[in-house]
Amino acid sequence: MPTANPIISMRGITKRFGGVTALQDVDLDVCPGEVLAIVGDNGAGKSTLIKILTGVYQPTEGTVEMDGQPLSMNSHSEAIALGIDAVYQTLALADHLDPAANMFLGSELTKSFLGFKYLDNGKMRVEAERVLLERLGVRLKSMDVPTESLSGGQRQAVAIARAVYHSDLRVLVMDEPTAALGPQETARTLKLIEVLRKEGLAIVLISHSLDDVFAISDRIQVMRRGRRVDVVTTSQSSHQEVLGLIVGAADAA
Amino acid sequence: MPATTSKGLQERVDPYLAILGPMVMILMILAFMVVVEPTRYFRASNLNIILLEAALYMPMAMAMTFVITQRGIDLSIGSVAALTGIIVAFAIKEYGFPAWVAVLLGLAIGSLFGLINGLVITKFRVPDLIGTLAMDLVYRGFALVLAKGLVLARFPDLITEIGRGRIPGFLPIPVLIGIATLVIGAFLLRRSRFGRYSIAIGSNPEAAEMTGIAVNRYKVYAYVLMGAMAGLAGVMLMGKLNAVQATSAPYFNLHVIAAVVVGGTSLFGGRAYMLGSFAGVLLLSMMINALVTLRIEFFWQSVASGVVIILSVAFYTWLQKKDRDGARGLLSSFATPDNVKLGKLGGAIALGIAVLLVTGSLLSTGSVPSG
Repeated sequence: MPTANPIISMRGITKRFGGVTALQDVDLDVCPGEVLAIVGDNGAGKSTLIKILTGVYQPTEGTVEMDGQPLSMNSHSEAIALGIDAVYQTLALADHLDPAANMFLGSELTKSFLGFKYLDNGKMRVEAERVLLERLGVRLKSMDVPTESLSGGQRQAVAIARAVYHSDLRVLVMDEPTAALGPQETARTLKLIEVLRKEGLAIVLISHSLDDVFAISDRIQVMRRGRRVDVVTTSQSSHQEVLGLIVGAADAA
Repeated sequence: MPATTSKGLQERVDPYLAILGPMVMILMILAFMVVVEPTRYFRASNLNIILLEAALYMPMAMAMTFVITQRGIDLSIGSVAALTGIIVAFAIKEYGFPAWVAVLLGLAIGSLFGLINGLVITKFRVPDLIGTLAMDLVYRGFALVLAKGLVLARFPDLITEIGRGRIPGFLPIPVLIGIATLVIGAFLLRRSRFGRYSIAIGSNPEAAEMTGIAVNRYKVYAYVLMGAMAGLAGVMLMGKLNAVQATSAPYFNLHVIAAVVVGGTSLFGGRAYMLGSFAGVLLLSMMINALVTLRIEFFWQSVASGVVIILSVAFYTWLQKKDRDGARGLLSSFATPDNVKLGKLGGAIALGIAVLLVTGSLLSTGSVPSG
């Protein structure tokens, strides 16, 4: 356990879909300024767990606490309001809109004229450019092109910028952020995560790439068949040990 | 490098594509009519007819742009227009409502029908194609029940002014109404949450949902706008003809959809061009007017609208394709194994028809009067 108090504590989370038990009595703790990686085989319950954390699903049993206060979130937007947001593997971008429109999708900036509100596209553009550059160090060639014309890494940056723009963001969940990226863009994305950690965000990272996990995380939570098998401190662990935990070889040995 | 220049060209042309497509077609119609029938087509009175015809479709094309951008479709607008017209006519003729109240009532009733469409689609989860097609039957049925085959005619001045009035020395009033709705639509599209979310919903429905957009609510908004504009078109049509009956506005659906699609708004969602819809409406009105001027039978209009829809959707889909010419030119890309099999199927069907035609005519016993 790190010394800081966890910002998020999930205790005894169980989630059933009809007769299928996706999660069984799972705990999760994550502290500010920490990257917690969640690893596990397909169907281990990683996605279900973070969907409960981001309010998409509600747990069948168990509690989610933030700063020691119990939370009950009924939707993803409630989680966003509490400062918990996610960047999905699919990035959830509307490809026909420009980067600024995507960054502010769902929380547009407006100005009003005679009490009538309309979108402030100019300000959103300036803000989007600023956030991308200042917080993520990314400069796009053009802010006017549709998002579909950007590279994978740039699209990722737009999706992350959307999450970090909320100044009250405290927990960022990243689902397979590097799965679709080349080596250079992967390195850049890991650097982005590093930047966000330094800013004091709590980051929950789901990844299949143990290289990435060992490169960036502080602790690794291993899931198998809907249960938490173990949590290891990255600096005191090895690929070997984590792989063993993922496939359950440690049990057999 | 040729690759970069062609990309540069496409990037530069892309934003204007929506307006270029219909513009080229408009110019083609103009050029054709200059050669074939210049005197009657380019008369001031005929241009006025074209504008009046186009004006009728402008409000609906504006709303349909939003519906289609959201990956939706509304096939009930003709019936909504007819039923709204009938109700407005009854309010004036039977119940003596003041004309201005009746007109506003028309907008409200149209909105109500749009709301019903939207709820059928979002709450009952009936796919939009089937839902609005079924509601089309419902609205048309109610119109027939209410009007019982009557033609209601001779309305107050306000109604006829809306339908065919003219500000002296300037444009006809319906044209002004139509352009006003399109300008408002263009503003909504670029500068309102409704417009922004319509594009997002059509572009990526899951993403829209995940970013916290109330997808279903904004879909309902689009159908309400569509209904209101269909209601407005119903009033404009009854003013234009100074008459209304239950069977009026039969081809509104496909005509409006054709106009919007010709204008570059994508049926696959996310791509909206309000200016293109305006150009599309003008194009279709000019085309249909050209058919009339050339004294081609009225029923060909339906053929023409259908062909225009297919051609423009196919054309814009083709434009979206990254790799347009494949490896070894156009002909070889047709000669895939699948296409060869389809070709054989087509050949078999054609052969079957040919055989049946020959057999029929060989065994023919002369024409039999059907009456």
